[in-house]
Amino acid sequence: MATVLNRLATLGRPAPLPGFERIQRSWEPEHERWSARILPGEYFVTRSDEVVTTVLGSCISACVRDPTVRVGGMNHFMLPEDTTSGRSSWLDPQAGLATRYGSFAMESLINDLLKCGARKERLEVKLFGGGNILSALTDIGARNIEFARSFLRLERLAVSAEDVGDVFPRRVVYFPASGRVLVRRLKSLDRQEIVNEERRHMAKMGERPAGNDVELFD
Amino acid sequence: MARILAVDDSAAMRQMVGVTLKAAGHDVLDASDGDEALELARKFPADLVITDVNMPNMDGLSLVRALRQMPQYRLTPILVLTTEAGPEKKSEGKAAGATGWVVKPFNPERLVAAVGKCLG
Repeated sequence: MATVLNRLATLGRPAPLPGFERIQRSWEPEHERWSARILPGEYFVTRSDEVVTTVLGSCISACVRDPTVRVGGMNHFMLPEDTTSGRSSWLDPQAGLATRYGSFAMESLINDLLKCGARKERLEVKLFGGGNILSALTDIGARNIEFARSFLRLERLAVSAEDVGDVFPRRVVYFPASGRVLVRRLKSLDRQEIVNEERRHMAKMGERPAGNDVELFD
Repeated sequence: MARILAVDDSAAMRQMVGVTLKAAGHDVLDASDGDEALELARKFPADLVITDVNMPNMDGLSLVRALRQMPQYRLTPILVLTTEAGPEKKSEGKAAGATGWVVKPFNPERLVAAVGKCLG
C-alpha cells in the first residue's frame, strides 16, 4: 500500500522554477517528498514542499528561506584557492578571488529568493559544513566558515542555526517549507569519495578565469 | 581621478566594488538601491555609475532609465554589474541606456580597465 501511495505521489512532481531545470530530482520515500540533490557549485530554490539535499565535506551550505512567502533554497560552495594575492582577506584591496566567488554563491541564492517575493529582513539563515576533512591540506573548511560568517555579518543576516566545523563530512536535508534541517555526520567510510569530489571541484575552479569581463555596448 | 557612484543592495558587493575602484585611484560614493542612488546622483554629479539590477525599491534598470532622463546624465557611462547572465536582461539593459554589462563575479583588473576606457 505504501508503495502504491509513494508511486502515486511521484506523479505530482512540482515543476522547477526557471533556471533550476537541470538540478537532479528524485522521489525520496523516507521523507515522502521530492528531493533536489545539489552538487558543489550548485544551488536550488523552490516554493514547493520538497527537500533539498547535499553532502558536504569542507564545503559550506547556506539554507535560506522567507517563512512568510514560503520560498527557500540551499547553495553548496567552497572558496577557490587564491594564488593571485596570497591570502584573500575580506578587505583585500583587489577584492580577492575567493571573496568574489564566495559572494557570488551567496548572492545568487539570495537574489533568486528575493525574485520570488522574499524580503531580506525576513530571511532565516542556517549554515552547515566546513568540516576539516582534508587533513593533508590547510583547514579549508575553517576558511569557508569564516567567509560565510563575515558575508552574513556584513549583510546583517543572522544565523538561526548551524552545524559547522569539526572533522566530519555531513549529509544535509533541508525542508524549505518548514525550515527544518536534518544533519547526519558521516563516518570515515564515506570520506574518501567526498574528498575526491571536492578536490575535483577545487581543480575545476582553478581553471576558471579570475572573474568575468566587461561587455561594452556599441 | 573620477567620481564613481556604485549601487548595490548587497553590502559585501558595495565593499568589493568600492575597494577595487578606490585602489585604482577613484572617488567612490555608494547607494543601496535606485532611489538612494538618484538622490546622490542629483547632489553629487558622478562621472560614471555602476549599478546592480535586482534591488528593492527602485531596481537597476529603472535607475538607468531615470538617469538617462536627466540632462546631466544623458551621456554619463553607466555599467551594469549583475548576477543576470541571460541575453534578454542584457538587451533590456542596453535598451534602457546602459553603456556596458558585467556578469558577477567580476574581474577587478578588467573592471578598472573598462572604467578607464569609458571615462576616456
